[in-house]
Amino acid sequence: MTVCISAVGVAAPTLRLSTRDVNAAWGKGGGRGQSAVCASDEDTLTLAWAACDRALDAADLAACDIDGLWWGTTRPPFAEGPSWTHLAAVLRLGPSTDGSLCSGSTHAGIEALLAAADAVAAGRVQRALVVMSESLLPGTGTGVESATGAGAAAVLLTNEGPAPLGTRVTRSVPVLDRYRGDREPTTREAYDGRLFREEVYLPLLTDVGRAAGAADGARWSLPDPDGRLGPTLGRKLAVGALASAQSRAELGDTGSASPLIGIAAALATVGPAVVMAYGGGRGTALNVDVQAPVPGADRVADDLGQGRPASYTEVLRARGRLIAAGESVEMAVPPGSAMFVRGNVEVLGLLGARCVECGTVNTPPSIHPACISCGSDKFDIVPLARKGTVQTFVINHTMPAPFEAPLPLVVVDLEDGSRIQLQGATTGADLTIGGPVELILRRYSVERGVPIYGWKVREITEGSAS
Amino acid sequence: MSWNKVAVVGAGLIKMGELFDQSYEQMAKGAFDSVVASVDKGLDPALIDAAFVATQRGTLWGQEGIGGNTVPSAIGLSGIACTRIENACPTGSDAFRVGCMAVASGVHDVVLVIGVEKMRDKSSEEGLLARAAAGHPVYTRGESAPVLFAPFATRHMHDFGTTREMLASVAVKNHHNGALDPYAHFQNEVSIEDVLKSAPVCHPLHLLDCCPQTDGAAAIIITSADRASEFTDKPVFVAGFGVATDHPYLHEKSTFVGLPATTLASDRAYKMADVSPSDIDMAEVHDCFTITEILDIEDLGFVEKGKGGIASLEGETALDGRIPINTSGGLLAKGHPIGATGIAQLTECWWQLRGDAADRQVEMRNGFALQHNVGGRGSGVSVVNILTTNA
Repeated sequence: MTVCISAVGVAAPTLRLSTRDVNAAWGKGGGRGQSAVCASDEDTLTLAWAACDRALDAADLAACDIDGLWWGTTRPPFAEGPSWTHLAAVLRLGPSTDGSLCSGSTHAGIEALLAAADAVAAGRVQRALVVMSESLLPGTGTGVESATGAGAAAVLLTNEGPAPLGTRVTRSVPVLDRYRGDREPTTREAYDGRLFREEVYLPLLTDVGRAAGAADGARWSLPDPDGRLGPTLGRKLAVGALASAQSRAELGDTGSASPLIGIAAALATVGPAVVMAYGGGRGTALNVDVQAPVPGADRVADDLGQGRPASYTEVLRARGRLIAAGESVEMAVPPGSAMFVRGNVEVLGLLGARCVECGTVNTPPSIHPACISCGSDKFDIVPLARKGTVQTFVINHTMPAPFEAPLPLVVVDLEDGSRIQLQGATTGADLTIGGPVELILRRYSVERGVPIYGWKVREITEGSAS
Repeated sequence: MSWNKVAVVGAGLIKMGELFDQSYEQMAKGAFDSVVASVDKGLDPALIDAAFVATQRGTLWGQEGIGGNTVPSAIGLSGIACTRIENACPTGSDAFRVGCMAVASGVHDVVLVIGVEKMRDKSSEEGLLARAAAGHPVYTRGESAPVLFAPFATRHMHDFGTTREMLASVAVKNHHNGALDPYAHFQNEVSIEDVLKSAPVCHPLHLLDCCPQTDGAAAIIITSADRASEFTDKPVFVAGFGVATDHPYLHEKSTFVGLPATTLASDRAYKMADVSPSDIDMAEVHDCFTITEILDIEDLGFVEKGKGGIASLEGETALDGRIPINTSGGLLAKGHPIGATGIAQLTECWWQLRGDAADRQVEMRNGFALQHNVGGRGSGVSVVNILTTNA
């Protein structure tokens, strides 16, 4: 059965780090380019959610239409734990959703895509959401530090659609390149860059690329860990300008997410395309035949172009490499406690209880056994709207660690008539009473080693809407 | 006319401040000594047959829970009936209300209501830490105390044109009054400009818009009105009280320009006392932040909704104004040792009603003073007590 890409969405994190700043910090002059870095409240889960949300929006589908979720990332938020279920919950997918989490190397993204394609081809899943997200953590002072990026891309796979998937080729070789051991926080640089290039990367991927049998004029997305390997491989394969060059320049090396991030913009134009991936000694090429523009592809460049420059110091802090001394405030209950077992679905899924009698939405449901307006105890559980206007707000300047000041707290009147109080995702500089805002997923904190997720408020300003 | 079953025959407090040299128990003893000394005809402590202790939290000095026995032991009355009351920022005023009901019921004759709060055995940052972890673990994450009130300032400014200068005028007035009150934490005046230029704490509130963290204790002796003459020839009676609640979370609020719990509680107190706001000569109200006092004087009916800011700026609430508010310096200048706060406010009302308020004395035309607190999650609890010299 044919498997097609029928929608695409991408997401980039907030911060942009210039190579020049990193070099200067380590006593080296010069440097070109930049990479994308997660703010302290972003990670592979928030990026994956944002990319999926945009793909669903482009497909004009609701979460209830999705019956499979495949996620590839080398950095799942829980190295071992409920990463996939958290993503499914924030996307409001049903409890019987099919799918899996692929990890272990930067090949994980393409593995997720292929696994989803197989499930759709087999007829087991009708509409599969595939997302690749990455936020690599390089060692400080290493050669790849400034090249290491972050980002996400998601596609919807269905039996019919504008861009059928074609043949695929995978080759494997058991060699050590970049790796991270158990309990090691950062990815190690390759032991010998020239050895990797000459004996692993170029031979393996040249073989894979040639075997892919791509049509003439195909657009190529090539993996590019250091900013040079990609173009070198492109010349070997004689494929001309790389489709992935623009996103690589914008975001840096997005690892397991790079195959789809690199091709996403090209899905807007009809013609053949090839998606290549590398990681952990495996290389894969996958053909895509774009027969009509893929919904969502036209906004890829805009979505990747967001972001603001950040200093090296801010990046170190966001990456958890620069930590304030002293005590930090813990949540009132630990993340493994009953409160989170009771409350995770309603908080992650942003659910409310709509009173059957008077229509008032009570949020969150588990602490509202009686309606705040009329006292009734009959409710329908509903997903809250994600857009609204500011009822009122504050900007807190006196927060202890782990909070970062200024921290806005906003009361929002949502489009469905409900009201909610949430942290702001910005400095709050553009908050005004009555101003339009949207709710986005963010990591609230890492609590006793466990990431805690929730929704934050972001102003909708010209060009910022998601 | 009014209820008047219970009389206040003694009231006293200790100097408020960062009392690093005093334990919780020592503060309690100080307040107790002060209240005993305040009884005109003297008080044999053995007559006290019950005590109600107001302490809002023990965690700031390392105590998860505080029962009713700590204070009796500290003041030399171990063995008496004693219950600890906790009801958020109105803890002290609610303990007073409960004590009044105990006397009015005839169960107890002479009751001690004592508020004691240790706020500064932990650093103010650690106090802030504890606060920021309160409420729902995700939805209210990051709420420190100013977050519960600052959204009302944002909205009040938006809806009514209230300015930061108007907010600041509350702090200026209360610091002025506090400088006249020997028990106040702060003994200095501040200017509008001082408030405006103080460090931002929680937009739109700055440092001098906020009350300090203060250690303190205060105590009151109440008896049945019939027995008041045993203790004083200048008794003050309890004319009425009210308590009311509202939803605990900000997103459940019906309004951001008022605190409905205050209005409800005061309606009940006015009805019980059979008075209206215009009968009140002076009031001690909950000014944990400048905006809170502005909301209070509107919600209590002293000024029209939306006019609290301009009324403050124009001096209507000053010592010589139409309705003097927080003559003691209020929470902003006298301090806010939570459990003691309401009882310290009642002490000021008692002094004003008896003409004992020295340089702060205001004209008591009708003989009614009002005391008010509001607080807790979402400012969802309010207590109003009304005292009178009218028999």
